[in-house]
Amino acid sequence: MSQTEMVIKKTKNRIDVGDWLRKWGTLVGFLTLIVVFSVLRPDAFPSYRNLRNIVEQAATLAIVASTVTLVMVTGDFDLSVGTLASLSGVVVADLMTRGLGILPSVLIALAVGGLGGLINGVLVSYGGLSAFVATLATMTAYGGLALLYTDGATIFSGIPEGFRWFGQSSLGPVPVPVLIMVIVVGLAWLVMEQTVFGRRLYAIGGNAEASHLAGINVRQLRMFSYVLSGIGAALAGIVLTSRLFSAHPQAGNPFMLNAAAAVFLGATAFREGEPHVLGTLLGVFIMGVLGNGLNILGVNSYIQSILTGAIIVAAVLLSGLSSRKRS
Amino acid sequence: MSGNPVLQLKGILKEYPGIRAVNHASLELMPGEVHALVGENGAGKSTLIKIMAGVVRPDAGEIWLNGDQISIHSGSDAYRLGLSFIHQELNLVNYLSGAENIFLGRPYPKTSVGTVNWKKLYRQAQEILDRLGVHVPVNIPVCRLSRGDQSMISIARAFAGDAMIYVMDEPTASLTDEEIRNLFKVIEMLQSKGAAILYVSHRLEEIFEICNRVTVMRDGNVIATHPIEQINQSEMIRLMIGRKMDETVPPPEAEIGEKVFEVKGLSGHTVSDINFSLHKGEIVGLAGLVGSGRTDILRIIYGADPISTGELNLFGGNYLPKTPAKAIQNGFVLVPEERHSQGLVLGRSILENITLPSVGRLSHKGLFLNRKREQKEGKITSQAVRLKASSLQQKVGQLSGGNQQKVVFARWMIEDPKVLLLDEPSRGVDVGARYEIYKIIREMAARGVAILLVSSDLTEILGLSDRVLVMREGKMVKELPAKGLTQETILRYCYGEEK
Repeated sequence: MSQTEMVIKKTKNRIDVGDWLRKWGTLVGFLTLIVVFSVLRPDAFPSYRNLRNIVEQAATLAIVASTVTLVMVTGDFDLSVGTLASLSGVVVADLMTRGLGILPSVLIALAVGGLGGLINGVLVSYGGLSAFVATLATMTAYGGLALLYTDGATIFSGIPEGFRWFGQSSLGPVPVPVLIMVIVVGLAWLVMEQTVFGRRLYAIGGNAEASHLAGINVRQLRMFSYVLSGIGAALAGIVLTSRLFSAHPQAGNPFMLNAAAAVFLGATAFREGEPHVLGTLLGVFIMGVLGNGLNILGVNSYIQSILTGAIIVAAVLLSGLSSRKRS
Repeated sequence: MSGNPVLQLKGILKEYPGIRAVNHASLELMPGEVHALVGENGAGKSTLIKIMAGVVRPDAGEIWLNGDQISIHSGSDAYRLGLSFIHQELNLVNYLSGAENIFLGRPYPKTSVGTVNWKKLYRQAQEILDRLGVHVPVNIPVCRLSRGDQSMISIARAFAGDAMIYVMDEPTASLTDEEIRNLFKVIEMLQSKGAAILYVSHRLEEIFEICNRVTVMRDGNVIATHPIEQINQSEMIRLMIGRKMDETVPPPEAEIGEKVFEVKGLSGHTVSDINFSLHKGEIVGLAGLVGSGRTDILRIIYGADPISTGELNLFGGNYLPKTPAKAIQNGFVLVPEERHSQGLVLGRSILENITLPSVGRLSHKGLFLNRKREQKEGKITSQAVRLKASSLQQKVGQLSGGNQQKVVFARWMIEDPKVLLLDEPSRGVDVGARYEIYKIIREMAARGVAILLVSSDLTEILGLSDRVLVMREGKMVKELPAKGLTQETILRYCYGEEK
C-alpha cells in the first residue's frame, strides 16, 4: 500500500504575526495587565497577600465558569447557572439551620444543582427548545424558587461554624476554595481533553448533525453536559455561601454573566475561537486581576464594568478580525 | 459571438498564506458566448469567481469591462456593473419567500405611496421561474421548499436583473434532468441576446453540449483556452490534471457472495413498499431523480429517519435500526450526501474525524482517550484511502473535497462494516480524486462489504454497480442487471416512460 503523501508547506518557517497574536494575544494581554498594575501600584498590587486574595476571590467564578464551559463547547448556552448557584446556596444554608448535618446538606444542594441542570438538559435535548430559551426560562424560574424558598430574606443565623471550612479555611498555605477550584478546573480539563466524553462534546460543538450520523448519542451527551454545569453552579453557590457565611437568594446571580464573559474571553486564547477549560480559567483571572487592580487604583466600580465589557469586545474582535483575514 | 470582449481579466494574481490561488490568470468573455471554466478542485476557479463577484480583492491584475478598466469592491458593485452570479451554495434567507429571495439586494417594485408592491413582486418572480420552466410557489418561505426547488430559486435570482454577464458555478449540481434542460434553454436565450456566460461545471458532458469555448485552470494558472470543437473530453481531463489518466472506473475485483441484508415492504418518510436485498461484495446502484426517495431509504436503514412499516433482515435475523449508533453497531455505515454539514467536523483534525465513531472503542475502558492507538488506526486507514495531507493533526476543513471524502471513508474502514451506504460519494470531488474514491469503493466490495450506492451521476452508477434499482416518486419501480444497461434505459424508468 502506498504511503500517505506528505505535502510540507514551505511558509511554515515564517512566523505569522496574526497567527501568533491570535494564539497568545490574550495571555499577553493578561500579563500586560499584571505588569501595568504592578508598575502603577508597586506597594499594593504585586504583594503575596493581594495576589492570594485575587485567586481566592476568583475561585468561585472559576468553578462555575469551568463547568459551564462544557455546555458552551457544544455550542449551547446555560443562562441558569447564576440563579441555580443562588438556589443551591440558600438550600444548603437552610438545611443546616434546620439541623441537618453539613455533609448531607452539601450533597443535597449539589443534587439540587444536578437536578436543575438535568431539567435544562431535558428541555434542550428532548424538548427541542433552543438552549437560550430553555435556560432563560429556567434561570427565571430557579431565581424565583430561591426567593420563594427564603421568602426573599437572607439566611444569617444558625449556620454551623464547621461550614466555614469550604470558603474560609486553608489546608496548609492553600485556601480551601482555591483547592476546590483546582480540583474542579482540573477535572473539567481532564474530562474535556482526555476523555471520550470530552472529545465527543467538541465534535458536537463542531457539527452536531455529523456527530449524530457518526453514531454519537448527541442528545444524551448534551443533556449530561447540562447536569455537570448545574452541579458546578451548585458547588460555587455552596462555597460562596460559606465565604459570606450567609445565604442571600440572589448572591450567585452575577455568576451567569461573569462566567459567560470568562468563557468568551478564554475562547480567544490559545485556540481558534473555541471554548476550552484552560482558556476559561485565564478569562476568570483576567477579570479577577482587572477588578482587583482597578479597585486598588481607586477606579469607580461602574467604570470597571464598562472596562470589562470593552475588554471582552476587544479580545473577541481582535481574534475574530485575524481569522476573518484568513478566509 | 463576435466583436470585442465584454469582460477581460488580465494577469489576475491572488495569494493566500502559503499558496498562490490565482497566478497571473487572464480570461476573456465574448458577447454571446458560453465560456466553460474547468479545473480540479483547488485549481483557482472559485477564487477567480470571487474576484469577479467583489468578494475577494486581487493582489494584482486588471479587470476590463467593455473597454474600460474597472474595479469591483463589493457584490453591489458587481451587480451595478451588470454581472450576475449563480453561486454553488444556495445563499437563501430561510424565512423569506421565494420572491423576496429572488429580489434580495435589488430594489423591490414599489406602489405609488412607496410601500412594496407585493403583487408585482410575486408576478415578476413568477415570470422568471416560468422562463426556467419550473413551478415553484414564490410566496411561501423557502425553508418549506424542497432542496431542488430551493436551488431553482437561487438560480432564478441570477436572472432577476438585466445583466449582460453571467457567472454560473456548478448550477446543475442538484437539479433534475428536466430542470437542467430548462436552464440550458434560458442560457441559450441569454446567449442570443448577446449576454456572455462563464460556466463552471464538473460535468464535462454539459460543457460539450452548451459551451463555445473552454478555459482550463490548473494550480492557479490558466493552462489553455480552446474552442470547444477543437478539444475532446480526454484531452480536457489531461489538461486539468496535467498527466495522462483515463477517467474510467476501476474494474470489479469482488466476488458476490451470500445474502447479507434484505428489505421487505419498507415504508417510512417519503418512501413506501420498498423491497430489495444486498449480497456480500455486491455494489447495488440506487438511481432516481432528486426527490425520488433514494436518500430516504438510506437514512431509514441507517436509523436516521423513522421506519413506519416493513421488515429488515440482516443475515436472516431481524434488524430494527433506531439510531445511527445502533446501525453502526450492526455493521451499517453511511457516507452522507452533504460532506460539510453531515459528514465532517471541519474545525477538528483529520485524526479526530477518522476516529469520530470509534473513539470509544479505541479508548482505555471507554473512558480515557488512547491517542497512541488512535494515531495507529488513523495512520493505517488514511494510508489505505491514500489520503494526501501534511499530517493527521491538520484540520479537515483545510483539505480538498476529495481528501475530505477520503477521511469519511477512512472513518468507516475502522468499523469493518457489513453494509456500506453511499450517498453521492463523488459529489464535489475532482476527477483525479474521484477515481481514487472508486478504487476505495471497489476495495471495500472486495473485502466482502455489501454496498448500496445512491448517485445522480449515471456514469458512476453504471460503472460501479452490479445491479441497479430505480426509484420513482417514493417507489422502487425496477431492478435491472448492470450488464448491458444504458443511461437511457435507466432514465426511461426514472421518468416513468417505461414501467
